[in-house]
Amino acid sequence: MKPTAFEYFAPRTVEEVVAALAGGDTRVLAGGQSLVLEMNYRTVRPARLVDINRVAEFTGLDAGDGVLRVRPLVRHRAFERDISAGPLGRLLSSVVHNIAHPPIRARGTMLGSLAYAHPAAEWPAVATALDAQLDLTGPDGTRTVAAEAFFAGPFDTVRRPEELLSEARLPLLPDRAGVGFVEHRRTHASFAQLAAIAALTVRDGVIDWVRLGLVNAAERPVRAHAAERALLGQPADAGTLTGAARVAGEQDADPREQPHASAGYQRHAVGVLVRRALEAAVRDAGAVGDGR
Amino acid sequence: MAQRAGGDDSEFTRRAADGGSAPSRREDARLVRGAGCFVADLLPEDCLEVVFVSSPVAHGEMGAVDVDDARRMPGVAAVWSAADLPAVPQTPPMLGITASAGRAWPALAVDRVRYVGQPVAIVLAADRYVAEDARDAVRLDISPLPVLLDPTDAAGSEVELFLGMPNVAVEKEYGDPIDPAVWRDAAVVVEGNYRQQLLAHTSMEARAILIRPEDDDGLTVWCSHQAPHRLRGDLAAALGLPEERIRVVVPDVGGAFGGKSETYPEYLAVAVAARRLGRTVRWVEDRAEALTGPPHGRGQNQRTRMAADADGRILAYELTIDADVGGYPHLGAFVPLNTSVMAAGAYQIPRVHVQTRCVVTNTAPTSPYRGAGRPEAATAIERTVDTLARRLGMDPAKLRQRNFIRPDALPYRTPTGFQYDSGDYPAALALAMRTVDYDGWRAQQAQRRRTGTGAPLGIGICSYLERSGNAWEFGSVEACPDGTYLALSGCCSTGQGHETSFPQVVASVLGVEPELIRLVEADTAIVPRGIGSYSSRSMQTGGAALHRAAGALMEQARGRAAESWAVPIEEVTYRAGTVSAGQRRVSLADLAAATGPLRADEVFEPPQAAPYGTYIAVVEVEPELGTVSVLRLVAVDDYGVVINHVIVRGQSYGSIAQGLGQALYEQVRYDPDGVPETRSLLDYLIPTLSEVPPVTLREMCTPNPNTALGAKGAGEAGCIGAPAAVINAVVDALDLDDPSAIQMPLTPFACWQARQPALAGAGR
Ligand SMILES: Cc1cc2nc3c(=O)[nH]c(=O)nc-3n(C[C@H](O)[C@H](O)[C@H](O)COP(=O)(O)OP(=O)(O)OC[C@H]3O[C@@H](n4cnc5c(N)ncnc54)[C@H](O)[C@@H]3O)c2cc1C
Repeated sequence: MKPTAFEYFAPRTVEEVVAALAGGDTRVLAGGQSLVLEMNYRTVRPARLVDINRVAEFTGLDAGDGVLRVRPLVRHRAFERDISAGPLGRLLSSVVHNIAHPPIRARGTMLGSLAYAHPAAEWPAVATALDAQLDLTGPDGTRTVAAEAFFAGPFDTVRRPEELLSEARLPLLPDRAGVGFVEHRRTHASFAQLAAIAALTVRDGVIDWVRLGLVNAAERPVRAHAAERALLGQPADAGTLTGAARVAGEQDADPREQPHASAGYQRHAVGVLVRRALEAAVRDAGAVGDGR
Repeated sequence: MAQRAGGDDSEFTRRAADGGSAPSRREDARLVRGAGCFVADLLPEDCLEVVFVSSPVAHGEMGAVDVDDARRMPGVAAVWSAADLPAVPQTPPMLGITASAGRAWPALAVDRVRYVGQPVAIVLAADRYVAEDARDAVRLDISPLPVLLDPTDAAGSEVELFLGMPNVAVEKEYGDPIDPAVWRDAAVVVEGNYRQQLLAHTSMEARAILIRPEDDDGLTVWCSHQAPHRLRGDLAAALGLPEERIRVVVPDVGGAFGGKSETYPEYLAVAVAARRLGRTVRWVEDRAEALTGPPHGRGQNQRTRMAADADGRILAYELTIDADVGGYPHLGAFVPLNTSVMAAGAYQIPRVHVQTRCVVTNTAPTSPYRGAGRPEAATAIERTVDTLARRLGMDPAKLRQRNFIRPDALPYRTPTGFQYDSGDYPAALALAMRTVDYDGWRAQQAQRRRTGTGAPLGIGICSYLERSGNAWEFGSVEACPDGTYLALSGCCSTGQGHETSFPQVVASVLGVEPELIRLVEADTAIVPRGIGSYSSRSMQTGGAALHRAAGALMEQARGRAAESWAVPIEEVTYRAGTVSAGQRRVSLADLAAATGPLRADEVFEPPQAAPYGTYIAVVEVEPELGTVSVLRLVAVDDYGVVINHVIVRGQSYGSIAQGLGQALYEQVRYDPDGVPETRSLLDYLIPTLSEVPPVTLREMCTPNPNTALGAKGAGEAGCIGAPAAVINAVVDALDLDDPSAIQMPLTPFACWQARQPALAGAGR
């Protein structure tokens, strides 16, 4: 479990990072919590590493103009505290406690997780569900890709090797939004078997805005469009939530057989998790106070 | 759920209370501060690092191994396949198991490979990075052959893993065949099919060996091991060296669990390389290698059948085992025999018959894994007894009480030929039931079932019998002129705290402070003989040997004093490190200084013992997702006399965690081509502190009648008792009629799937 030889760069500016990435066969080293493991297993053998940990402008997390901007050195741990971005902050902090364990959260980054695109990772599904915008910076400048178009498959994204994921912008949620996150996993520190993310608003007892995401329910993170359609404009009652949850399991999920979960089980479990996430979100919206 | 907090006696308060009455572990001062010294910490200058090129194919015909490119890489000292060695040593058979005759396990593969990970070539380089580069540059040409992964399939397959030899390497029968009339005439007969999944040992420290060639053509070997003298003998035999030329030293060991008592092909290859190059060489296995084995543990397909009369008296029990011993039948072939001998559990059953086959397959070779055959035995009979209780509509506790071997029937010889020494099995169950509040939980379960509210709740019992200690052990105590005592033991601590507990034993006999006693073990240059630490044998056998040696030292001192004072020995008394007669009085230290070494050596072979106990688990199964929550786990164990409660409790907690691992989380998986899928701890899930439920430990004490010390084995109980308690609780919670519908690990999916017919029946 030792990596192959590689060259190591530790630039201090964005320009230097971009220049180094253009060299080919180069990887960004962010938190290293997935990359180093893969290098030790020699499943990846990059010729060069660009360690971005010294780039001062990559730190920082700020909310404004309706979005939360997440830069490349924002660690998972940053979301454990309330980042005071309203319901979005609440959602992110209920998600983050499910990611690995504290030492890994102290190093691993949200953008690293997005770039890595592990099928069972939480952040890609959060970004997809909430319609995050992702900035990719390369030799020709910066382009922006919607999260839903970013993920191409397990460990696969549309990011070109010479591009840096330089920023993720998560839209702030409506103030009166309720949020819910429910995860199913086998041990406390293991990856998720499945998880569901819900954010919604309720007006006069009717769901008038909703975002629903699924973790590890398909080859890519899922925005559960069919279930969202089943919810929009419907009363926020048990029948609606249960019905939509079933739709999520049957239509939005596209599970692969897994060692300890058949596809049928996963569809069923997606239904259970979505229902619970929706129930939590409706409760949360009620708690916020203007849910009717 | 109110009970969840663990009530009055949470493990933490008990532990804290214990600290005062039992010395804390001497070795912890260095181990918990990271100041221990493991094989990987010994890195002499100029030591070469070994990496093995191993087979990526589970079964195949070997073509040429092309090592040319690898050899040319800078920093590479040597790359050899079997073809490059004048002779390829073979792994010595273990414990006289004949299964390996004609099925030799070579240091490096010759002609064929039989599991993924089998060493094919050895790379020696300046460091591990270069060595792995060279490993990747070696080109293999292996033509795949059909792969066998299941022992029952392999036993019936046309494919021969060893040409001209059956895949069934050992076939054994215990007890007499049961007359068909017994089954025909019995009021009830129940059957079960159980799978004991393959497990990885997952010791914190994986395998490691460092070998330095010496000027006299001998070797000094540092190895993370459980049985240094055995390793010395094996290396000597395989290399054709006299034993005296080999010194084996075992430094600190980070866990072993049965996987480090054997001699592996890698060790032989490392020894050969060290001698050929005349250089110090080490191999430190990494986690990826360790998880994909060898060794693996468990791996049995079991079929059981049990007959009883209408009152629930068990009339007959039959167990059939197909055990996976992996690509080469090694120490793993002993494990199912242990299962067979222990098949009858705690019950007085007139007819018990066991048929066992140890079958070669293309998984990594198996070895004992903590429990080593007894968890398999306990799970088989305890699941079957529960099935019988269901069929009879009887409470499983009552059924057990009806069939237990009564205390006054002990010692008791089972129909499979093992002698249980002592104990009170009904009392252990009764204590466990009181401790857990069995009746309270049953009432709660009945209420939930009646009202259809709350998650399915189950209570599971496992009354287990273990078999501990075997063979002899060496112990020696010497009174040194400086007033200290030197104790030598043939055992070999792999984390069990011998440095603390063995001096306690010696001190209690001599009547001196334990601090005066220093223990040395695990160095064949200092300890003349020994067997090692496995089978929960250290205290029972090695401790008992030291106990006798300390007594013999007192006698020797009295004799020596009597001689020099010219008085009859009867007039010389021993007390607290001094001997006296009348006005004369001399310390053992001065006596040794004046008259020469005072040392007593003992080799002691007590019979095996049968520790026992009852575990009760209370579980809830989350009805929608199938997740099992263990709400309570009560463990009642009778280990005989306990020398150090802190250490023994530690053994209980550790083995319980591993037992829960088997019940709920762990499984080594292979794809259909025999390629391991569980290559990291992200795939092979083990319980951590977060997964361990509230555990309550209760001890009973029936001293071992066969030793003066009175200790029985205490190292493996949790692995034996916990799995069956949990699985019986889950079957109870899910109300499963077909007990074979669910197998370990009890993943959420497994529980959900097992419930499907019931759900369908309920119209969902
Ligand atoms: C035991 C364990 C348990 C874990 N459990 C979970 C879990 O439950 N949920 C979960 O989501 N994750 C889990 N992880 C993964 C963890 O969250 C990682 O931190 C994360 O996947 C990667 O983030 P990183 O910053 O460490 O990235 P790195 O490991 O540094 O990089 C990962 C990949 O992304 C690329 N990369 C990183 N940043 C950028 C960037 N800004 N632009 C372009 N490319 C980039 C790298 O080149 C590399 O290919 C676990 C990891 C471990 C070891």
